[in-house]
Amino acid sequence: MKEILKITVSLTCVCISAALILGAVYTQTFEPRQRIEKKEKQEIINSLLGFGHGKERPKDFEVYPVNRYVIEDPEAGTLIGYVVPLKESQTALVRIDLAGKPAGVIPLKAKHEDLLDKLLLNSMVKTALPKNATATFAGTFYVADIQGKRYGYVLEGTTQGFKTFINMMVSLDAKLTVTGVAIVKSEEDPGLGDEIKQDFFKNQFVGKTLEMLAALKVVKDPLPSDYLDALVPARAKKAGLAPDKIEEIRKKHVKDDIYALTGATISSRAVTTGVQNTVSKFSKRFGILNSAIERKNLQIAF
Amino acid sequence: MHSNIKLFWNGVIPENPIFRLALSMCPAVAVTTNVKNGLMLGLAVVFVQVCSSCTVAIFRSLIHPRIRIPAYVLIIALWVSVIDMVLPVIDIEIYKDVELFVKLIVVFAIIISRLELFASKEPLLPSFFDGAGMGVGFLFGLCLIGAIRELSGSGTILGHELLGFRPLLIMILPTGGFFVIGFIMAAFNYIEYKLTGKIPTSGGAH
Repeated sequence: MKEILKITVSLTCVCISAALILGAVYTQTFEPRQRIEKKEKQEIINSLLGFGHGKERPKDFEVYPVNRYVIEDPEAGTLIGYVVPLKESQTALVRIDLAGKPAGVIPLKAKHEDLLDKLLLNSMVKTALPKNATATFAGTFYVADIQGKRYGYVLEGTTQGFKTFINMMVSLDAKLTVTGVAIVKSEEDPGLGDEIKQDFFKNQFVGKTLEMLAALKVVKDPLPSDYLDALVPARAKKAGLAPDKIEEIRKKHVKDDIYALTGATISSRAVTTGVQNTVSKFSKRFGILNSAIERKNLQIAF
Repeated sequence: MHSNIKLFWNGVIPENPIFRLALSMCPAVAVTTNVKNGLMLGLAVVFVQVCSSCTVAIFRSLIHPRIRIPAYVLIIALWVSVIDMVLPVIDIEIYKDVELFVKLIVVFAIIISRLELFASKEPLLPSFFDGAGMGVGFLFGLCLIGAIRELSGSGTILGHELLGFRPLLIMILPTGGFFVIGFIMAAFNYIEYKLTGKIPTSGGAH
């Protein structure tokens, strides 16, 4: 009896002290980690849109985040809410019912710069809704404009990888053709599934249109060597390929399926279905949102 | 001091975790498709091994023998989580390189076996050198396997093109990992046989 008490107390003490240390470290590093994560995300968005690594953004280039919420309203039922930026730094919550019909617009207090602050925005959406309604954050996409003209979109997506979720970002041009894929967070096995971060894999998605993506498969054939040179910028430089030649090779292979990574078919498939789902869902949702905005005659910023 | 250096050296070659103790073979096969991966995992293991060994050596009298295994696992997990949270704040670029490897470490057999066999019985200083030696031995093993596999499988070392062609694609597949480890282990055994005249016995693989 005495023994068991001793063991219990000892193990409890070990656990409590470990938990205290972890808690202290977590709270101490929370703020800087959050800041770094935000900065990293911004950099990924910039480089996906073609303005990474010191390349300056042109004038009048704007990226607007659009946050999506699932609203549970006891009276109106389940609604989808989009926080959209309006002209003159105003914002509004556009509510749409599950059938795709607009269900009212609520102006928000948030300014444009608050759209990136998720915690602040969550509380603002909550206060704008009726008292007993709840809103759950359900994802973000970004709309990029250049001098008032639509430049492209960056979408956030999640897919089930080999062990846990893979968070990624997909950029599209104005015609919804893929222009880039970036892996934001993943825990695939190093040396195997982790190769999804390599250029020769993720650049295979570049140039795929909405129709091509819908029929896209993963094949286990080896990657053609001319395609490999065209996909990896460093190899193209070494092989002395001119930009128009790279373009030509990529065009030749653009209808190809995705060539799976050696020894990592599951991770290759995961990213492929992730890109497919992210883009197809976005095209549907954005269409519905656009028609709602048109019907309600909103002066949106993008 | 001399005995401490001997302890350190012991972990690097005479009791190398991969080739002599045959512990933590799963990561040694899975990760070592190139030198860089081996190096990063090795560095992460050195750090966690040294920190955990020191922690256990300091608190060894307080840990009840009956609950030592859960306590060790907790200590390893604690250090792994602390690194995972602190490292991005210190240097995000390094963190991006080692992030995946750090998270793999919690379940490594080599770390818990050193805590059980050494740090739970010895004071702080010898435990530190034992942990460092075992960590460096693991790092050395991973880099050696990684170098052989990368050179023969992809024709590169640390990403630099050396051969210009890929001699043996099988080497970067898991099969190649088993081959390379087997051959190096055989070489270690052969050298020991030549030096001592005794047929070596190996540890149990995990």
